Amino acid sequence: MKLIYSELQKFLPDLKIEPTQLRDDLTMIGHFTNFFEEIDGQIVFDLDIKVNRGDCLGYYGLARDLAVFYNIPLKNLSSEISSSSNYSLPIKVNTENVKRVMSVKISNLKNTLSPIWLQTFLKCHSVNSINTLVDLTNYIMFLYGIPNHAFDTAKSTDNLIWEMNSKFKEFTSLDGSKLILDNSILMINNPDKSLSLSFWGGEACAIGLNTTETIIEVAIYNRVIVRQNSRQLKSVTEASIRLEKDLDEELVSTAFNHLLNLILENCGGQVSSQIFDHYPQKIELPKIEFDPQKASLISGIEIPTDFSLDCLTRLGCQINNSLITPPSIRKDISIEADLIEEVIRFWGYQKIPINQPLIYKELPDITPKEIYLIENLKDKLTELGYDEVLTWPLVTNAVNQDTVITTQNSINSEAIYLRQSLIPSLLQQLDQYNRFKLPNPQFFEIGKVFFKAGDQFVEKNALGIYSYNSDQLLTDLQQLNIETNITDNNFIEIIIDDLLKPDQYTPKSDNNTAYELTSQIITLNANLILDTKEDPIKLIEKYSQIIGSEFLWKLIITDIYQDSKSNKYRYTFQASYFNLDDKKAKSLHLKSFGLI
Amino acid sequence: MNQNLQNIKIQYLEKITNLKTDKELESLRIELFGRNGLINDLFSKIKEIPNEEKKQYGADLNQLKTELEEKLKNQNVSKTETKDLKLEIGNSEIKLPKIGHLHPITQTERQLNEVFKKLGFSVYNGPEIVTDEFNFARLNVPKDHPAMDMQDTIYIKEPKYLLRTQTSTIESYLLAQKNKDLPIRAAFPGSVFRNEKVNRSNHFVFHQYQAVVVDKNVTMKDLIGTMDLMFKTLYGPDVVVRYRCKYYPEVEPGVGPDMQCFNCHGKGCPLCKYAGWIEMGGSGMIHPKVLEMAGIDPKIWSGFAFGMGLDRWTMAQKNIKDIRTLMGGNLAYKPNEL
Repeated sequence: MKLIYSELQKFLPDLKIEPTQLRDDLTMIGHFTNFFEEIDGQIVFDLDIKVNRGDCLGYYGLARDLAVFYNIPLKNLSSEISSSSNYSLPIKVNTENVKRVMSVKISNLKNTLSPIWLQTFLKCHSVNSINTLVDLTNYIMFLYGIPNHAFDTAKSTDNLIWEMNSKFKEFTSLDGSKLILDNSILMINNPDKSLSLSFWGGEACAIGLNTTETIIEVAIYNRVIVRQNSRQLKSVTEASIRLEKDLDEELVSTAFNHLLNLILENCGGQVSSQIFDHYPQKIELPKIEFDPQKASLISGIEIPTDFSLDCLTRLGCQINNSLITPPSIRKDISIEADLIEEVIRFWGYQKIPINQPLIYKELPDITPKEIYLIENLKDKLTELGYDEVLTWPLVTNAVNQDTVITTQNSINSEAIYLRQSLIPSLLQQLDQYNRFKLPNPQFFEIGKVFFKAGDQFVEKNALGIYSYNSDQLLTDLQQLNIETNITDNNFIEIIIDDLLKPDQYTPKSDNNTAYELTSQIITLNANLILDTKEDPIKLIEKYSQIIGSEFLWKLIITDIYQDSKSNKYRYTFQASYFNLDDKKAKSLHLKSFGLI
Repeated sequence: MNQNLQNIKIQYLEKITNLKTDKELESLRIELFGRNGLINDLFSKIKEIPNEEKKQYGADLNQLKTELEEKLKNQNVSKTETKDLKLEIGNSEIKLPKIGHLHPITQTERQLNEVFKKLGFSVYNGPEIVTDEFNFARLNVPKDHPAMDMQDTIYIKEPKYLLRTQTSTIESYLLAQKNKDLPIRAAFPGSVFRNEKVNRSNHFVFHQYQAVVVDKNVTMKDLIGTMDLMFKTLYGPDVVVRYRCKYYPEVEPGVGPDMQCFNCHGKGCPLCKYAGWIEMGGSGMIHPKVLEMAGIDPKIWSGFAFGMGLDRWTMAQKNIKDIRTLMGGNLAYKPNEL
């Protein structure tokens, strides 16, 4: 959501704060503001709006919050217009999915290209300017968060019908996209043509510069239907984003009047019909029992009850003793906890101390013993020289087609089965290590394996181990007290759920470094002839430092030889390099051992 | 040399000196250098040595090993003829024995488990195949919430069975299973699934860490203080974290911790998308409806929950650029690196 500072100030004339501060304040009260930038001389904020705050997908909702936060007045920009026309629009609403729609006809208007201020506004919102009439409908949508539409009556006629589609197979949108319709789509039609989706206008009745007569409508629909239609037609618009939210039916009249005023002001013309208002079921506002002391009890800091009540009043709540009625625009407030959050966020989360964590409390240990077993096994295996790896729980191939669990909708076509065994994944890990020429790999994984048993989905904890040395693997299993019938294999897998579980576990601390291999490990030898016998460990330390840890994987001395004729010592080093290509590894090697 | 190693050295040099037969020599060689021999045992204890002493201990141990090997060889050499002075070191390369490593995600989980154990938390877990009830409904996620879309959730059998999308699901199970055993303090690391294409930045499986408290008179001050302790444990005492209002269906009030960007220190850069802050997860006071659905009376009990992702933090800490590295990829550990 974009927010132009100067437009916000139209609702909040007393707002004079620095943009940086406004960015931070918006964030702290729940509207995460990424940044602000200057576009055509306007300061524009970029916000993430919380999914439960559909009201803040418009300037008006955000301005209401800021008016409370800064304790400044909120200006009403809309004024009611009455119609003197006797003409009643022949509009029909044949579906319960329209929660409210207001509409009116305007005649003798003169549509033009938009004034500069309006073009700039839309540019800041990354919307192309079309013409004044169309741009004003978009302007009102951004201002109040309520989408609306204008029909060219020369194309649409006055006979607008809100209905679930039953007769049209195709719809062409304003941008020329052809969409295939079925009976689940909420439409605005006339008896002969499909005119508009609930969230996207149609080409058939598009407003042009030659439009002289229009019917405008501001509507709110069943948001679930809009969302389903938008998903089904794979079309997301600024309107669908808003209409999927719980919007305020009461705000429709404010947005409608503001739009009507702006059209008459910018395009001239006269209202030529009665105002149509379909509002079959007025919303019933909740009455919430509220204890003003709860804000202190929940936050853990003292928040005066006077502040709580004043804050809620400024938010537009009706207070009747302990019963609070939130304003209709705040669909997210329905229980006491919602009111408490309002009070605390306007009091300021930053006033809650950050240095008072919970203190220790002796409670029964509810840790499942399998966790102790798993952690214990991990410790023992690392002590035996095995590295822990993690692999994908979703795999390409089933081990047993009869029992495999298949995902219904994984978009990763190469991984649709839940693994039944760790071994195939460990094999892939080994392939990867072999590609990198990692010497003598031995590794393990403890993770879930899955299978179907009748109608049940079963998951079990499994341990998979690989060692390049199968004899050693068997010896190591004995050390883990794990019995196996397998006698000659580099891979072993055991379901560990049935193993004896320890009652306690003390974790061993380990904070090693892990590396991302990007190329093969390259091993090179170097012979150094020294006059005297040296401590090999000190030599390893010395040359490790010369090479540096960034690219040195491993350095060992494989041979020490004293030549009986020269009486000199030859030390054979074996250095392994990683994340370097052959040429660079060789260059570093020769340079480090002084061989060039 | 470490006193203990010095004593071992004296003791075994004397033993070697007193050897008379090849059989005795072989027996002592196995006692010292066999797979379960003394030297390997001493190497395996390196992990128990304080960090600052590890390097010296390793060097001393290698020296001891070399000296005992040489002494043994000399003892042997005195009985057989040699053509030159070549020191056959063969399989006994001069290096530390291979030490295994825990996966970085496990390391982070353990680091956090330690923090929470000190506050009286148990570690908990839960199933990975879950029902929509525990993944969504019991967490107060509305039926038409976008999170339930096929695009975001991996279903096993839509709509009922799915792969858990968040560790909050473990919270649902925990509250349902332990609703009569209050108060509760539990933390749970776990892998979670989202229907994402796998590429350099996204994965369908990633790791989260969650902590939950249900008790009497739990406050946001407890929540924020505990979270801050956790962040300071992970990132060090100078980390700057702010706590702001944020929405999650399962909590009310919701709290969003943001860490000041470590790259630009709040000025704004591409890493933090010019916000100066990085979102670190979500938290809040457990929603009364969540407690009610678990059979816990919200008039008596309250609680908090918070969760955070572990993958990106681990990647930043280990300088890993590709998220695929963490799972079945190119992750490796240097041999002998303590």
